[in-house]
Amino acid sequence: MNTQLKVSKISKIYPGCIANDKVSLEFESGKIYALLGENGAGKSTLVKILSGVVKPDEGKVFLNNESIKLNSPLDAKKNNIGMVFQHFNLFETLSVFENLSIDSDKKDEDLRVLVNDILKKYNFKIDLDIPVLNLSAGQKQKVEIIRCLIRNPKVLIMDEPTSVLTEQETDDLFISLKQFSKDGILIIYITHKLKEVLSLCDEVAVMRKGKVVSVSNTIDEKIESLANKMVGENLNTIKKKINNFKNSEEILKISNLNFKSDDPYETNLNNLNLSLKKGECLGIAGISGNGQNELFQILSGEIITEGTSIMFRNKEIGKLNPRERREYLMAFSPEDRISQAAVPELKIYENVALNNFKSSNFFEKGLVNEKKIKEHSKKILSNFSVNTDNVELKSQFLSGGNLQKLIIGRELITSPELLVCFNPTWGLDVGAINYIHETLIQINEQGKSSILISTDNDELLKLSDRICVIYKGKLSKIMNADTVTAEKLGILMGGGSID
Amino acid sequence: MSIDLNFIGILIGAIMASSVPLILAASGELITERSGVLNLGVEGMMIIGAISGFALMVVTDNLFFAVVGSMLSGLIISLIFGLLTQSLLTNHVATGLALTIFGIGMSAMIGKNFVGIPGKEFPLLFINLKESIPFLGPIFFGHSIILYFAFGLPFMTNYFLKKTKTGLIIRAVGDSPTSASNQGINVTLVRYSCILYGGAMCGLAGAYLSLIYTPQWIENMTGGRGWIALALVVFATWSPIKVLIGALIFGGITILQLHMQAIGLRIPVQLLSALPYIMTIIVLVVISRDSRKIKLNTPTSLGQIFYKEK
Repeated sequence: MNTQLKVSKISKIYPGCIANDKVSLEFESGKIYALLGENGAGKSTLVKILSGVVKPDEGKVFLNNESIKLNSPLDAKKNNIGMVFQHFNLFETLSVFENLSIDSDKKDEDLRVLVNDILKKYNFKIDLDIPVLNLSAGQKQKVEIIRCLIRNPKVLIMDEPTSVLTEQETDDLFISLKQFSKDGILIIYITHKLKEVLSLCDEVAVMRKGKVVSVSNTIDEKIESLANKMVGENLNTIKKKINNFKNSEEILKISNLNFKSDDPYETNLNNLNLSLKKGECLGIAGISGNGQNELFQILSGEIITEGTSIMFRNKEIGKLNPRERREYLMAFSPEDRISQAAVPELKIYENVALNNFKSSNFFEKGLVNEKKIKEHSKKILSNFSVNTDNVELKSQFLSGGNLQKLIIGRELITSPELLVCFNPTWGLDVGAINYIHETLIQINEQGKSSILISTDNDELLKLSDRICVIYKGKLSKIMNADTVTAEKLGILMGGGSID
Repeated sequence: MSIDLNFIGILIGAIMASSVPLILAASGELITERSGVLNLGVEGMMIIGAISGFALMVVTDNLFFAVVGSMLSGLIISLIFGLLTQSLLTNHVATGLALTIFGIGMSAMIGKNFVGIPGKEFPLLFINLKESIPFLGPIFFGHSIILYFAFGLPFMTNYFLKKTKTGLIIRAVGDSPTSASNQGINVTLVRYSCILYGGAMCGLAGAYLSLIYTPQWIENMTGGRGWIALALVVFATWSPIKVLIGALIFGGITILQLHMQAIGLRIPVQLLSALPYIMTIIVLVVISRDSRKIKLNTPTSLGQIFYKEK
């Protein structure tokens, strides 16, 4: 039987944010629908409403032209709406089978037969009697999917399902989803990845700032057109003007730096040499785990080295800690925003205050000068277009892009001479990536230098003046960016050599 | 020789009796903790159970009312904990500590008029079998019905948690309340029920002390047994059977060291008194070494406040 799902004028308002603004959409079985949008566009809220986790302030949901009430997850289940959340809703310490049986009314023996049939039909390979915590992310997702399939769903909603999957697992998932669609299940696929929309889905609805801005067939769309709809403005492809730094002053010099770690999981660094000029961006490419972490920590002062090995503005800084290095106008944006750059449980202004240094006057006689920190934080929020003006907000409620803007803003508002950043756009949506890239280009234009450690080659080629590759703790020759191609980087990253 | 054997049997019987309050309280707390709630008020709930059981016995002269009443009073005082932590979302640790302090104070107040009143004899089962069979008699017979219940309880708890649907739901809530709620499980209801059950068992443990073990009311008569029960649950890594083993070791060494003190061994008394605590922890740590099992048994959300998204 055909399934039609219709959401009509759904609104949901959170304090300070309109998550869904009169959202109306129609879906029909036999097709795979994409719900596309940046982080914070309102996709997840809509999905939570459809699965009964969140109640809308206004609006109705119709299933086969009948209005249905979704006051709890149980209601969604009763109406055969299945949901696979981005963050798995599994019980890690229970076995796979216990996870499946917990919300099933069937007898254990019958359920086991049913599950085994599903496993066979879709070619899933999962041991039912091991605890979920022993499964890989892809397998956990399959358990979630099986949990939905047990209930013969009419609708299956997948929320950002590939963010935790490997490429192979993603391919497998797409095959399964197409099969479900053929079996008559209506599939709604939530994502911010444009390529996935084009390769998997039949129709795409784009959301922006809580509103549906476009509904179209994917055959009529291209990556660029979708990206523009998602961000809401024409993305100008920025390319950096490459400068000649022959006459500029040298700002940073690392010579013969070695680092040997006691931890077998860390990478040793061998005989690093590099120099950086004023206004220059040095890109460091490489497959992750080749010493980027260690290099970042050496630059930021989390790992202390011999005094003479790092010279910054003609001072020996190798023995200084991160705070002392900040006094010398260095700034850092680490890879892991949540655990290294910010404390998610703290409010925005408190996170800003963590970055204190002598000249900031955030603390006087051991007391916190809250007013000053808040003013300073407000300046960061507005200068770096973070999508809130509430400095009291806990940092964990910022989306990845906004948190990264806050972190970069916190570092840059002190006008440092050197910014070291490590994967600054990892996991962000197009709009935020663009903003960060523009900001990084801007600081070079203002005569400040930057070191960009990144695993994203497009980003490196776009932003760097010179590029080198780190492989097994060693740096390649440093090349001018205009002579480097993605192919060359690929060879060096794999440990090969070029002339 | 037969006299010696009989003495050992009596000794074992005494050890079993002394471990009953620990088994009851720890089994109750185990269920509470498995649902993700850390109730540090065990000592307080036990002592409230002890005084209300004793007081009811004096007032009504009926042991059945006394026992049921002690369970009810444990349940009611744990309801306060439930209201605070589940409905008003207060911190589990602070609320539990307050509950213990409240319970001790409250019991002393109620108990003022009951000091010095003699207890009533609690009926013991199979008393003639106890005397007629040497060695095994004093071990298996001549105990109160509560003792038999206590020794069955860990096995029933184990079965309940592992084999029944309700047990599965309790474990799921303790693992991840958010996931459970998204699966349509009423987390608050599950946690309330587990808290109330834990409270009732602690009340019963208290009543065992004041009605059977030392049938009288003495202020502060639980003497830290609630804390031992709490520690047993953790060191037994939330396994009911290991709780039983731990309670027996603790009871056993407590009784044995008393005998050693009486014999007059040249070991400092303080060291002997500390022995049950040290040995229980060592044994439980040793039998619970399997880190994989610990991970599977530990309620991941223990002590975390849960509130539902609206």
